[in-house]
Amino acid sequence: MNTTERPLRPLNVLRRRQLAVLAWVYFVFIGLATIILGTFAIAFSASLKDNPLESPFRLIFPQITPSVWIKAADLGRQGADNPWWGGFAPGGELVFSLTYAAPAGVDLVTPEVEVPRRKPGSGLAAAITTTFASDYAIVELTGTSDRFFVSTEPETGQNIRWLARTFDYKISYSEEAGDNIWIERLPFTALAPRTQTLLEATLPVTRMERRGRVASWNNIAPGALGLILNSYRRVISETVDLSSGDRLLFKWMGNSFQIAVGRVILMIVLSSLAGYALARLQFRGVRLVFVLVIFSMTVPVQVTFISNYLVVRDLGLLNSNWSVIMVMIASVHVLLMKQYFESFPREIEEAAMIGGANRFQIFLHIVLPNAKPALIINAIMAFQGAWNDFFWPFVLVTNPPSALAMPVGLLSLRESYGGGQGDWSLVLAGAFISIVPVLIMFVLFQKYIVNNQVTEGIK
Amino acid sequence: MKKAGVNHDTLAGWIFLAPFLVSLSVFFLWAIVRTAWFSLTDYDLFGTPSFIGLENYVRLVSDDLFLLALRNSISFAAIVTTLQTVLALLLAVLVNSAARAKGLVRTVFYFPSIMSSAAMTLIFLWLFQRQGLMTSLVGNVINLRWIILSFVATVAGVQVLQVVLARRKYAEVGLFDPFFLILSVALGLAGAIVIRLGGWLPVYDEQLLISWLNTKEVFLFMPRTLWSVALMNIFTTVPTLMLLFLAGLQSIPGSLYDAAKMDGASSMQSFFSVTLPSLTPVTFAVVTLGLIGTLQMFDQVAILGAAAPLESRITLAYYTYYNTFPPGGSPNIGMASAAALTLGLLTLVIVFVQRQFGIKERIG
Repeated sequence: MNTTERPLRPLNVLRRRQLAVLAWVYFVFIGLATIILGTFAIAFSASLKDNPLESPFRLIFPQITPSVWIKAADLGRQGADNPWWGGFAPGGELVFSLTYAAPAGVDLVTPEVEVPRRKPGSGLAAAITTTFASDYAIVELTGTSDRFFVSTEPETGQNIRWLARTFDYKISYSEEAGDNIWIERLPFTALAPRTQTLLEATLPVTRMERRGRVASWNNIAPGALGLILNSYRRVISETVDLSSGDRLLFKWMGNSFQIAVGRVILMIVLSSLAGYALARLQFRGVRLVFVLVIFSMTVPVQVTFISNYLVVRDLGLLNSNWSVIMVMIASVHVLLMKQYFESFPREIEEAAMIGGANRFQIFLHIVLPNAKPALIINAIMAFQGAWNDFFWPFVLVTNPPSALAMPVGLLSLRESYGGGQGDWSLVLAGAFISIVPVLIMFVLFQKYIVNNQVTEGIK
Repeated sequence: MKKAGVNHDTLAGWIFLAPFLVSLSVFFLWAIVRTAWFSLTDYDLFGTPSFIGLENYVRLVSDDLFLLALRNSISFAAIVTTLQTVLALLLAVLVNSAARAKGLVRTVFYFPSIMSSAAMTLIFLWLFQRQGLMTSLVGNVINLRWIILSFVATVAGVQVLQVVLARRKYAEVGLFDPFFLILSVALGLAGAIVIRLGGWLPVYDEQLLISWLNTKEVFLFMPRTLWSVALMNIFTTVPTLMLLFLAGLQSIPGSLYDAAKMDGASSMQSFFSVTLPSLTPVTFAVVTLGLIGTLQMFDQVAILGAAAPLESRITLAYYTYYNTFPPGGSPNIGMASAAALTLGLLTLVIVFVQRQFGIKERIG
C-alpha cells in the first residue's frame, strides 16, 4: 500500500541479504549432514565403548584416547608379546599400578586385588568360555610409593592435604600350570574402602562395582586393537555355533553373499531376456505381460509368501540359500532393462538381421555386450537389495543358526545381547560389520547408485 | 514377409520371456491364486484345506488384533508419508538456492538409504533404550527449558525489533529477513550462554527414564512404539526424498518465477502458484511410493520382537506373518491369507487413486 512512499533498500544491503541467504542454505546443509552422519558416528563410537548406555554419554573415552592406546599396547606386549591384540601367555609378566588417595590423616589401606574368575559377558560367551586367566595368574605387590598433594574445596575455599599412595603389582603367568595356553583376556579387580578414592591406574578402570568400592577391569592386557575393537572381537569370537564351533558372523556373511550373487545372476538372465522381448519384439500378449510386470511391483510380499513358503517346503529347500534366491520377482529389473533396450539404436540390429543373424544371435553377440552399463546398475541394485533383504530369509531360513542370512543373524544378536542391561556394544558392532560390503560397493559405484535412484524415483 | 517376421517375433518373444514368466507364474500368479483360495478355507499348513466360505473374513473383522493391526498400519502410513513428504519438500525449498547438492553432500544424504533395515533398526533400538541417548537428549531439553525459552524469546525479540526499525525506512522487508536473522540468532546464543554461565535462570538436574519402545501408550492414534519407528523411517527417507525434490525444483524454469514476480506475487504466493504445481509429478511419486512402502512395514516390527509388546508394534504385514507362524499355536492360514489380501487390496487402491489423479493432472 505504502510501498510508493518508502524506497527499496539500497543495493549493497540487498546484496548483503543475498549473502545471508547463502549462509543459511549452507548452514542447513551442513546441519542436515551433521545429523545424518552424526547419528552413525555416535552409534559407532558407542560400539567401541565398554558401556554404550552410559549416562552422561561421553564423547571422549579410553577407546579413542591415543595415550591409552599406547598403554594398552605396552600391557599387551608385557602380557603376551603382542602389542596389537594383547592377551596373557606363558612368560607373560605385567606391571600394573593403582594410585589411591585419601585426605591426610585417613588411613590408606592396601587394596585387595585379584584376577577374578570371570566370563567376558552374557549370551553365548558364558557357554563357550573354558579358560580363565585366574587359573594361571599370580599377583604380587612389588612396592608402594607415597606423595602428598593439596586440593582446594570449591565451596568453602579450604585447602585439603591429600596422601596419594601408588601400589605396584606384578601379574605373572604361573609356570606351574602345565598346559601353557594363550588366554584372551586378563580381568582384574581391586577392593578398597570408600574412604579412599582411586586416583589413577595404568589403564582406565572399566567400571566401579559395589557402590564404588570395587574397581573392575575387563582386561588389563588388551593390546591397542584389543582395547579399541573389543566388542568387534567379541562379537566375532562369541557368536559361534555351539555344535560345530563355526564363527556365525562369517557364516551369515557367506550366506548373504551367496544369496546376493545368486540373485544377481538370476536377475541378469531373467531381466535381460524379458526386457529385450518387451522392448523390441512385437507379438500378441506383449501388452498383457507388461501389465503383469507393473502389477507384480505393487503387490506386497505378504500376499505371496504363504504359497511361496509351501513351494519351497515341498521342494525340500527350506533353510537353504537357494530358496531365498529363487523367490525373487525381477519385475523392477525387467522394466529397467526394457527402458534401456528401447533407447538402444535399432539400426545395428537391423544391419545384423540383413546379414542373416537370427534374434538369439543378435541378442547374444550385439545387444548384450552393449548393455553393460544397464546390467551394472541393475546388478548393484539387486546385490544391495538382496544383501539388505530381511523378509524372505526371515521366513524361509530359520535354523540351524549357521544357515541364517546376515540381517536375520543380526536379529538373533539382538535377542541374545540386546536387553535393558545387555551388551549393546556387541549388537552395534554386528550391525556395523554387516554394512561393510554394501558400504564398499556404495563407495566404488556411488555415481551409478545416486544417479539411478534419482531417475527411478521421478518416474 | 512382414507377417512372417511377426510370427518369428512371436516365437522368439515367448522364448525370451519364458524364464521370467516361469518365475512370475510360480512365485507370483499362482501364489496370489493360492492365497485367495486359502483365504476361503480352513488350513494349517499341514492338513488338507477345506472350504469354509467367507468365514475367515467374518472372523477377521471381529478380531481385535486384526483391527488394531489395520489401524496401526494405516496411521503409520499416513503419518510417516505426510511427515516425510512435507519435511523433504520444506528442506529442499530451503536449500534450493545453493547451486546444487553435489559430491560429498550427496553421498552423505544417500548414506542412510543404503543401510539394511536390520542394521538401521538395531542402531535405533540402542538409541531408544529407556536410559539411552534419546532419553538423555530429551532430558537435556527439559532440564534446560528456561534457557531454551530465553533463547527463543531473544531471537524473536531482536528480529522483530530489527525488522520494525528497517520497515520505517524501507519497503519490502520480510519478517524473516535472513541477514537480520543471523544477527538475532547470534545475539540469542550469546544471551543464552551468558544466562547459563551467570546462573540467572534455573537449570534442572532431573534424571528421567522414557520407555520409547516397551510401552502400550498411544499418542495421536498410534502407539508410542510406532512413533519411535516412524522417527527412524523419517530419518532414513527424508534425505533421499529431499534430493528428489531438489532435482525437481532445479528443473523449474526461472522464467516462471520472473513472471510471477512481475505479476506482483510475494515469495509465499509464488511458492504456492509456481513451485508446488511444478512439483506435482515428483510429489505424487513420493507420496505413492511412501504410502506403499510404509503400509507394508514389516522388518522393523519383527526386529523389535520382544523389545515391545505385540499390540504396540503389530502391523498388517506382521499380522499375516504372526498368524502363519504363531508362537506356540497352530498356523491359521485362512486368516493370514485374508489379512494379506486386505493389505494387497489397500495397496492397489492407493495405486489406483494415484493413477486417477495422475491422469487428471496431465489433462489439466
